[in-house]
Amino acid sequence: MRGVSRSKMPKPPRRWQTFALLIIFVSYVAATVWSWTFIDMTLTTLFGGFSDLWNLITYMLPPNFDNLPTVIEATIETVWMALIGTFVSVLLSVPLAFLAARNTTPNSVVFAIGRAIITLARAIPTLVLAAVFTLALGIGPLAGILALALHSIGMIGKLFTEAVENSEEYSREAVLSTGGGKWKTVVATIVPQVTPAFIGTALYRLDINLRESAVLGFVGAGGVGFVIQTELRGLDYQRAISAVSVIFVVITIIEIVSTRLRASIIGDSLAKPGRVTERSKKREAKDQRMIIDAVTTRQLTPPMTYERKLRAMMGITFLVLLVTAIITIEMPVISSFGLLDDVWRSILRLFPPDFETAGADLWRGIAETLAIGFIATTLGLLISLPLGILSARNIMAKKFVYSTTRLFMLGLRGLPELVVAVLFVSAMGLGPVPGTLALTVGTATFMAKLIGDALEEVSSAPREAVFATGASGIQEFFSAVLPQALPNLVSQTLYMLDVNLRSSTVLGIIGGGGIGFLLLSALRVLEEQTVGAIIIVIFVIVYAIELLGSFVRWIVE
Amino acid sequence: MASSNSGERVPLIRLAGVSKRFPNGTLALDNVNLDVQRGELLSLIGLSGSGKSTLLRHLNGLHQPTAGEVFVEGLNVSKAKTSELRELRRNIGFVFQLFGLVGRATCLENVLTGALGRLRGPRYGIWSYPKQMRREAFEHLDRVGLASQAYQRADTLSGGQMQRVAIARSLMQRPKIMLADEPVASLDPESSAQVLELLLRVATEENMTVIVTLHQVELAVGWAKRIVGLRDGQVVLDRGATGLTQHDVMDVYRRVDHESTPKPSFAAENANLTQLAQTQLQK
Ligand SMILES: Nc1ncnc2c1ncn2[C@@H]1O[C@H](COP(=O)(O)OP(=O)(O)OP(=O)(O)O)[C@@H](O)[C@H]1O
Ligand SMILES: [Mg+2]
Repeated sequence: MRGVSRSKMPKPPRRWQTFALLIIFVSYVAATVWSWTFIDMTLTTLFGGFSDLWNLITYMLPPNFDNLPTVIEATIETVWMALIGTFVSVLLSVPLAFLAARNTTPNSVVFAIGRAIITLARAIPTLVLAAVFTLALGIGPLAGILALALHSIGMIGKLFTEAVENSEEYSREAVLSTGGGKWKTVVATIVPQVTPAFIGTALYRLDINLRESAVLGFVGAGGVGFVIQTELRGLDYQRAISAVSVIFVVITIIEIVSTRLRASIIGDSLAKPGRVTERSKKREAKDQRMIIDAVTTRQLTPPMTYERKLRAMMGITFLVLLVTAIITIEMPVISSFGLLDDVWRSILRLFPPDFETAGADLWRGIAETLAIGFIATTLGLLISLPLGILSARNIMAKKFVYSTTRLFMLGLRGLPELVVAVLFVSAMGLGPVPGTLALTVGTATFMAKLIGDALEEVSSAPREAVFATGASGIQEFFSAVLPQALPNLVSQTLYMLDVNLRSSTVLGIIGGGGIGFLLLSALRVLEEQTVGAIIIVIFVIVYAIELLGSFVRWIVE
Repeated sequence: MASSNSGERVPLIRLAGVSKRFPNGTLALDNVNLDVQRGELLSLIGLSGSGKSTLLRHLNGLHQPTAGEVFVEGLNVSKAKTSELRELRRNIGFVFQLFGLVGRATCLENVLTGALGRLRGPRYGIWSYPKQMRREAFEHLDRVGLASQAYQRADTLSGGQMQRVAIARSLMQRPKIMLADEPVASLDPESSAQVLELLLRVATEENMTVIVTLHQVELAVGWAKRIVGLRDGQVVLDRGATGLTQHDVMDVYRRVDHESTPKPSFAAENANLTQLAQTQLQK
């Protein structure tokens, strides 16, 4: 099949695009102003909030590590939950991806169902799933694992599907022509191509799931979140912070390891040395000898080169970890199918959804959720600008300034934002303000890093041109640096808004305001059909945001 | 598969009034009638877009005709069931311009995929193929001169080497028919000659029927015994390769709008290959 290459014609700038952007900007500002008044946010509450936080910090220090054995045990459980949850999600996503990829799907019905499952999974937050599953599975890690596994399909399935669709088709057609048959051909030609992308995605999701897994305990679904919550309820802040710091360290370490691993897997070779050393030279020579031996003796198994050894070792390590996890968690591998039946029945009890009981509260919950998302994004953005500039190496002349700023941000980013939120709630009491502030901090640190990085990347040529005219540092920033980084800034803001609105749907579960609060109360009194209604509302919110996001992105691009 | 005991009367391949119109309206084949006998070495020539690839793809069922019928080894390809098609494809080697190797897999593994049609169930990795087949794959790599690259990743090879691995993969099918769609169009002249020589050698050794599409007339004339020319989906030339003159070929390369006529001058240029072809054929 000769693909007729339809190269995209460069689009001429359209007036309606500018117009649409203007409308979007105005509505964004209007939404923020409305949000501000809706949740009675004032500068006084804001600064009052910060002073409460300061108090909290003084309560928390010094940390009290008396509870370390419990904390470590709970943290390990958190890690195992993330590992098993991610693994199960990968198991489910692999077939799903091939059924939902345009180029491998058997027919359009399967295609549509596959896509729908992926979208559905993505739009229901892990914490919500976990809360519902505890109804069927009881308190404990099983509900958490199932929630992680199902929600992750949304991202893993999507990225796997994209990898399959991006694989090249020449080899597939060639092997199909040898009489291989459809699925045999797919396994022989597409699977080897997508394996690195699959592993990379899985590792990436493992990072995210570890953070999610740390807060699942808030709804009784296992892990360290439960310890944090118990200590906070008992107002033992010094012990709570010991649990927080342990999970922080673990998250950071695993993130570093998985980033390294991903880099080398995507770089396509595990064994490729960063630099040539005596040892790497020797290793390569040995590999060469092994390969030559293997082909001259017509050896029928591939030689165990260094690369293959590394891969085998990684595979074995993973298997050992997985088995350890399953044994430690006491996961009922065999009987879990019976449990699935319980889960299914408890899901059915959510239907038909009951929108009546919650009534007007539902609307209030929706409005509050949106308000939290908008304020957090705008505030976070405003704070991130100075923070980002402070952290940019090429703009801040003083090393002390940018490195302290970076370190501070790194620390805050290392904590899952719901952990931050639960701390804020316990400092300021229930309500939307602590939730908003927690999301604000998350947004500010995330955006500040992006801004710092972007500023460092911005080419220096225009800066010098402006400098040469004798402009001051600040003038220079606004006239030369900012315009270059602006398009990226817009799309990142959009992304943050998406993330924050998603988070604000669950903040209420830990007392941080928004529709999640209704969910929690309905769960407490076992009004299952109301729970069903709320979940549908959450789904609609998240899905609408996603559609809106891709619409705006379409306009911008 | 019906075997043709009745000798050369029943052609191995028959296209009877085959037309192909793509969904977008392009008429790629226009009432093509063509018989190919067992053991023939045939070259399809024609301008880009004349329908060469489309014709080849009808022979193993990658395309279905919109009118007319395609018979291969007695099977009516245009009416065949999926399982019959798979069976047919198993007996036809197909070599592509862009090789179609799995870059991340080793050469040996790529060759092994040629055996998938004979095996039940999916295979992933060298280990999953029976030992006997691995041995066979090694032998085929030997035949194309690449046994020493067996455990190298396919994407580390040169273009010519990749095409030879692709040929080894086809040999793994033990095919009776070999189709090659511009097998040398992406290669430099030296690798081209090597690949064409290899195709010729295995074809004669196995007594295969081979149809090769080639862009360059001089290569086609040097290589094949019979030349078939396509223009706008119609057969406009069909004759023996020996004694073919520039004038005979003019018609094939005439554009409809007469705006440009490439001047093929082939007689002397590829004397080496012509000679090679003839010595091979006399054996
Ligand atoms: N899948 C397809 N859908 C629509 N039109 C097609 C398709 N494949 C080929 N065509 C068209 O059919 C005609 C014949 O194409 P074909 O690829 O058979 O030509 P070719 O002789 O092999 O040319 P080339 O030398 O460029 O490979 C062309 O006009 C081409 O655009
Ligand atoms: Mg072609």
